[in-house]
Amino acid sequence: MLLVQQQPAYVLHARAYRETSLLLECLTRDHGRLGVVARGVRGPRSRLRRADLEPFQSLALDYSQRGELATLRGVEPIGALNRLRGDGLLSGLYVNELVVRLCARQDAQPGLFDAYAEILSRLDAGAAPAWPLRRFERDLLQALGYAMQLRYDAQDGEALDPQAFYRYQPDGGPERCGPQTPQAVRGEDLLALADDRCPDDDGLRRLRVLMRDVLRFHLGGTELRAWRMLRPGPPPALR
Amino acid sequence: MSASSPLLAELIDALRCLPGVGGKSAQRMAIQLLERDRGGGRRLASALEQAMERIGNCSRCRNFSEDEVCAVCANATRDPHILCVVESPSDLAAIEQATGYRGQYFVLLGRLSPLDGTGPEELGLHALAARLEEGEISEMIIATNPTVEGEATAHYLGRLASAAGIRATRLAHGVPLGGELEYVDRSTLAHAFGGRQAVE
Ligand SMILES: [Zn+2]
Repeated sequence: MLLVQQQPAYVLHARAYRETSLLLECLTRDHGRLGVVARGVRGPRSRLRRADLEPFQSLALDYSQRGELATLRGVEPIGALNRLRGDGLLSGLYVNELVVRLCARQDAQPGLFDAYAEILSRLDAGAAPAWPLRRFERDLLQALGYAMQLRYDAQDGEALDPQAFYRYQPDGGPERCGPQTPQAVRGEDLLALADDRCPDDDGLRRLRVLMRDVLRFHLGGTELRAWRMLRPGPPPALR
Repeated sequence: MSASSPLLAELIDALRCLPGVGGKSAQRMAIQLLERDRGGGRRLASALEQAMERIGNCSRCRNFSEDEVCAVCANATRDPHILCVVESPSDLAAIEQATGYRGQYFVLLGRLSPLDGTGPEELGLHALAARLEEGEISEMIIATNPTVEGEATAHYLGRLASAAGIRATRLAHGVPLGGELEYVDRSTLAHAFGGRQAVE
């Protein structure tokens, strides 16, 4: 049996498990995504408190592991309570769904934990979510081994022309196209993402469509649930 | 024991669908009913049968109801201008029992949770938006739970209300009466701190 102590982690999702337990999907620093059973936490005399196991809070976990699921032995919140608010909160739920859907359990990806901690602190600081989300999506894909090709034309290997239009092939990279091509992005949008510079609003809109296309490809063509609650403007229920 | 009667085994197994009931408790319940309370058992069976067959959801508030419109929505003496949105029928029952609230309700039957497959559609938010558009509601009280998912739902509902030009309020969550700060858990304390009010 493996005993792990004081492992930095975040809870991505919790659901009821057996009679009084919770099954937590966690993102750990050293062991990637991990399923952790919190025994008896829904019972009245639990030593563990449900409120300590909410998403977005930086935690140190003690757990033991035999087989696929780990068993929680102790939990300690680190730092101030993380209180995402408003659109940052909805974005945080989207990030959690993305991580759970794209990362297999027990497959450690160096860089992912830091990228995750970083997007949470950006959302917590109240930044408009669009740009932090695009950076996180880029970093997540890189950590998973699907790094995006953002500097060169996939067809001729030429450096991207900032003013030209490109159609991004999820499994290849940018290919030059006409400005009317659906989902076309400008070279400068891709270069901004490569160089970590925030593009203008039009660029951000084009990158949002592009990243959804790329993520959908890596999700095997399926949609994320959170996409339905992240549309900008008035909620879709009123349109 | 269960080998002696397949029906008893089936009953024990069926009772395990109740929350918090495992094999041992299910066996105790089944034997208690057979041994001492067959009348109660028959009543339970008939009530279960009727409830499962006839209880649906109110077309106005989504709470459980065997009528098209439930008794709370049909009650003409309740204030038609205030709408309280809750996650579950038990939250509605708690508010009815503990407060003097006399307005309308809307029951989400869940909370926004992408990883559980629950989005705006599953929570009936189209029906809620349509109701806000009717123009009769002037205030929406958002009474979702103070969890991450409850807060996300509250934010989404707030956007819905403001798009319809309706004032939205949120339940205050704070230090329990008789509680001392030192013993209040940190998330409650953080909520109370965030929702502090002017001293009058
Ligand atoms: Zn009703």
